[in-house]
Amino acid sequence: MKKFLSILLALCLMASLAACGGTDTGATAGGEGGGSSSGDADVAVFYYTYGDTYISSVRTALDAALDAAGVKYQDYDSNNSQTTQTEQVTTALTQGAKVLVVNLVDTGSDDAAKNIIQQANGVPVIFFNRSVSEEAVTSSGTNVFVGTDYEMAGHMQGELIGNYLLENYDALDLNKDGTISYVMFKGQEGNAEADARTQYGQEDADKILTDAGKPALSFYDSANTNKYLVDQTGAWSSAAASDYMQTILSQYSEANGNMVELIIANNDEMAVGAIAALQNAGYNKEGATVIPVFGVDATDAAKDAIAAGNMIGTIKQDAEGMANTIATIAGNFLNSKDTFEGVEPANIVGTWRVNIPYGTYTGE
Amino acid sequence: MAEKEKMKKIGDILLNNAMYIIIALAVVYITIMRPKFLGLSSIVNVLSLTAAKLPIALGIGGCIVLTGTDISAGRVVGLTACISASLLTTTFKVFPNMTSPAALPLVLLLVIGVGAAVGFVNGFSVAKFKLHPFIVTLSTQLIVYGIILIYLMNGVNNGQTLSGLTDGYRSFVTGALFTIGGVAVPKYVLYAVLLTALMWVIWNKTTFGKNMFAVGSNEEAANVSGVNVSRTIIMVFMLAGIMYGLTGFLDSARIASANANTGLNYECDAIAACVIGGVSFVGGIGRISGIVVGVLLLQIIFAGLTFLAVDPNLLYIIKGLIILTACAIDMRKYLVRK
Repeated sequence: MKKFLSILLALCLMASLAACGGTDTGATAGGEGGGSSSGDADVAVFYYTYGDTYISSVRTALDAALDAAGVKYQDYDSNNSQTTQTEQVTTALTQGAKVLVVNLVDTGSDDAAKNIIQQANGVPVIFFNRSVSEEAVTSSGTNVFVGTDYEMAGHMQGELIGNYLLENYDALDLNKDGTISYVMFKGQEGNAEADARTQYGQEDADKILTDAGKPALSFYDSANTNKYLVDQTGAWSSAAASDYMQTILSQYSEANGNMVELIIANNDEMAVGAIAALQNAGYNKEGATVIPVFGVDATDAAKDAIAAGNMIGTIKQDAEGMANTIATIAGNFLNSKDTFEGVEPANIVGTWRVNIPYGTYTGE
Repeated sequence: MAEKEKMKKIGDILLNNAMYIIIALAVVYITIMRPKFLGLSSIVNVLSLTAAKLPIALGIGGCIVLTGTDISAGRVVGLTACISASLLTTTFKVFPNMTSPAALPLVLLLVIGVGAAVGFVNGFSVAKFKLHPFIVTLSTQLIVYGIILIYLMNGVNNGQTLSGLTDGYRSFVTGALFTIGGVAVPKYVLYAVLLTALMWVIWNKTTFGKNMFAVGSNEEAANVSGVNVSRTIIMVFMLAGIMYGLTGFLDSARIASANANTGLNYECDAIAACVIGGVSFVGGIGRISGIVVGVLLLQIIFAGLTFLAVDPNLLYIIKGLIILTACAIDMRKYLVRK
């Protein structure tokens, strides 16, 4: 029996090793010259987590762009832990990476970014997506930040919402009390992007409404002084929004004359989760009242919902634009060219930053 | 003296039923502040939230009875949710060659199979290699997460959220079971009731259930009295895996989408619910009714605090205090018995 077990164990180990070998090449998006773990990668790319939908689309696009440029690279999954990421950076540097591309985990303070720059010790760092301050980026060496003007998403969402409400005001004011009641789903506490989207998504919409002589939006529950509901796990997840929305719908409905008339979500995951709960309660499907839902990211799921008429609009983050810009700058660093050679000049801010523009998406 | 005895007895009764008393107090307080909390639609909401979180807790309960735990549960839910969402969909991104959604019973069997397979690996490693379940399920948690990420990169999906589920699948899970007073009760409430009944029978009326408790309270004694310990452990973990698989199947339709984050940390709430409901880490102790009460209490707190618009940061503190209290009361009972 013991012998049998040890043979079985050995077989398992061998099988798993073989499986690892197989997936390694697959996961680093292959192609000849695609990154392998042999330690000769010139570019090391650190993603804050592989579990993020939007970041996955950046990863796919960036892998393709680097493959096309014939650059050797290696991808890392920091699994939402700054400790893991910092350790991975150390490892990549000892392996001889010449450019670091970092999707920072901890955006709450400058320390994590500065620490990575210090460790890099002259190796250029391209931060992307998750915001890093100018002070940190320019603290030493040649580093850049490729991101979005993160406040922009909130502003554009607010504008989109304000204009949509004005056009359809009377139809959307279900209980005809003259004001639109809304709920705001926040992705996470202590995240600059979530804070900005939560603030401007509502403020800018209010401004458009009040300028046109309409009353400002009112949060559906006057007792909630935060004026938002936040994902407790900080994961911007559809499940959190869905559970909240289901609980809200048990208290608020058209029949009670207090139905929530607008749903603003920090991202499309939460928007889609809210729609699921609405659909379970008989809203937002064919032939039923559609409560306007707005998100950010333009994920495929959100686009499908918009096409089906169950969601109104979202703000598109240009994953490919971001990936191509990163690949261009990384190539410039490797070939000792000017940092911003070949980058759209209108998007460059000073000497440290490139902003990839957002766009509104309300279906095509 | 008699007076003192009486007081002690009343104190015991209060302590032994502390969780029910806490639930009653919470409901009374929330209702006073927000009378709608006891409205029909609110009750249906709390019940359906409870139903959604019940199967995974029922599964994990068995592992705790064996003095173990299972922290791979959430990721198994995630994997089976992704499998369901990728097969029962109208947009075939993970398998671009598919032209029509898979048959629902087939997918149901598949998620049961996947859950059971992970459960088998867990149980086998615990039983045969004498490893602590925490370590084993930590490993499978990581392995399953890796599989989820690879699965989501398959085909033309590129790690995106899976959605566009078929109407048949969604209505099978979230469709109205019946409607009372204009409030629809979703079908998954019925499934949760059926699973609870099934688990009750397994735990209380089968040899396997009795063996599980025997192994949980004293493995050596169980072995000596002729219980096949290894087989019991493997079966408990497989049964748990099946429950996670079903949770994933239901959750994906309930949320109408699935991605790499689906199921994340679900095991924490499930373990908390079991412990609150008196399933003891001491082993060999636990009741299905306790698990139901534990899940219900957590959902009452969630819905109630949302009704009260309480600062969400407090939810963590309240949850933590309740778990601590529940464990303390549980241990007290155990110490008294000893």
